Amino acid sequence: MGAKLFKTVNVLITSLVLLFILAAVSTVLVRGIPYIPASLKAPELVFAIRLSLITSIVSTTACLLVAIPVSYTLARYNLTGRRIAANLLRIPLTLPPVVSGVCLLLLFGTTTFGEILARMGLRFVFTVPGIILAQFFVNLPALITVLKAAIEAVDIRLEYVARTLGCTPSRAFLKVTLPLIRNNILAGLVLTWGKALGEFGAVLMLAGATRFKTETLPISLYLNMATGDMEDLMASAAILILIAVISLAVFERAGVKLYERVPGL
Amino acid sequence: MKERLPVRSLRLFRITKKIGEFQLRDISLEVFPGEYFVILGPTGAGKTVLLEVIAGMHAPDAGEIWLGEENITAWPPEKRRFGFVYQDYALFPHLNVRENIVFGLKNKKLPPDEIKRELEAVVSLLGVAHLLRRLPYTLSGGEQQRVAVARALIMKPRVLLLDEPLSALDPCTKEMLQQELKRLHQLTGTLIIHVTHDFEEALYLGERIGVIMGGKLLQVGSPEEIFTRPRTAAVARFVGAENIYYSDIILRGGRKYVSLGEALLQVETDLTGRAGFSVRPEQILVSSLPQPGNCLRGKVLAVYPRRLLTRVIIDAGERLVALVVAREDKGCSLAPGSTVYCTIPPAAINVFPHY
Repeated sequence: MGAKLFKTVNVLITSLVLLFILAAVSTVLVRGIPYIPASLKAPELVFAIRLSLITSIVSTTACLLVAIPVSYTLARYNLTGRRIAANLLRIPLTLPPVVSGVCLLLLFGTTTFGEILARMGLRFVFTVPGIILAQFFVNLPALITVLKAAIEAVDIRLEYVARTLGCTPSRAFLKVTLPLIRNNILAGLVLTWGKALGEFGAVLMLAGATRFKTETLPISLYLNMATGDMEDLMASAAILILIAVISLAVFERAGVKLYERVPGL
Repeated sequence: MKERLPVRSLRLFRITKKIGEFQLRDISLEVFPGEYFVILGPTGAGKTVLLEVIAGMHAPDAGEIWLGEENITAWPPEKRRFGFVYQDYALFPHLNVRENIVFGLKNKKLPPDEIKRELEAVVSLLGVAHLLRRLPYTLSGGEQQRVAVARALIMKPRVLLLDEPLSALDPCTKEMLQQELKRLHQLTGTLIIHVTHDFEEALYLGERIGVIMGGKLLQVGSPEEIFTRPRTAAVARFVGAENIYYSDIILRGGRKYVSLGEALLQVETDLTGRAGFSVRPEQILVSSLPQPGNCLRGKVLAVYPRRLLTRVIIDAGERLVALVVAREDKGCSLAPGSTVYCTIPPAAINVFPHY
């Protein structure tokens, strides 16, 4: 195959894929955007948007608080079984979200562990905390992967030097590594938040789909589809797509800025 | 700065450390207060790991590190107060030069006016005042090196550890900064351990040199001693004594000899039995006529002119490498195939034990 033909075939396939994605997304946007203003006055959609925002922000914060120490451990400590641990932590990333939901449902709904937690007031099955837990479980591995790669990219000798200058290990991390991975954290957070907002399968299995109780935007979309309420369905879908597009734009911008600001990192 | 520095020696006792496939083996060493000590070794010899163990970044698997009367083996780097300058300087990329230099003082939470005073002192010592607002990636290699040294020196380190600080520089900057390091050492009196693979650098800077190879410290001594009296074939090869041979030491008429090809060369040594011996190429005198004592007849195999010196490969029963001054080869044909006589003074033959 000649160079020109090779290039033409590659560009053509890329263009077709782009066209396909644009066609699918813009169909929903074109039809859904006109319904957004009216739907925003509907209490159910307002509830769904509010619940989605609250649960996604809480689960994303939890993901960050857990992902930083886990990714630091995987990136920096030469522990036995580190590779196996890294692969185990990645399991939820490869599972279908519905299966993740089933795992959580069985763990918290049928085991002694779940019963003990429930007696302590921590109920996750068919509750709002269940939505947060499902989003956390599904999204944590992706954030760990992003942050682990970011920490590995920061030369460990910078932390070593910081320690010779009087920093404890935690202070060296806070003063040197953390500022250097700031943009990766931002990008990871946007990605995690966007995914949490759109999480459906795991949420459905663990928290159920109850109107005005566990009705996040994707659940609302599902319920409206089931009842044939196409206007609210289109509005929910359009809102989710808009959020995804904005998240992606922020993600891209943050990702590029890192290497612009800190050459040689 | 000199009066505030502590005067304590640094002692390593039988340090062993395994990292992956690499291992530091049984390293014992004492570096004296205010000394400029150079650790010399090829790439992969374990120089950086040794420095990192000294700095406390890796705990040794066995052995102890003492600073004066204190056993500091278990001390973390932040407690040791050893300055560290890496080969690529490891400046914090998100901080400007000023922030890099005062990073350690801010950790100590010193008052701003004291930080300013210390900054001004170290900045004038290193001549980096004009760089303070710049980010590290905008600096040249030489500038980065000065900033890294300033960042370490402002902490008044008990020991300054330099990991190949000159190897990333062009020859001109390297020579200038080499002199600068010597000046800084004289001014501050800091105990410096400087790691390098460059023998010239070690000769210029080191008051003593330790040669490390394959994770073992093979020899410690003055530059002169390392240069002229290497104690193993590996050290001899590394410091440029290209002619290395093995022979039984032969006692005749109260004098000791080694054999090279079919000739016997008189040597000055206390050793007996099987031994190795090395001869530096520049210590072989090449002439067209035989000379009295330790003279070998040989045939020129190849000649490689190198500016003022010419490298001559000679077959004298064994392969000999000699360096002759180009202008002094008049009257002595160095063309390949010609016959020459190589004289090696007994004092130029370094005899070492053969294990």
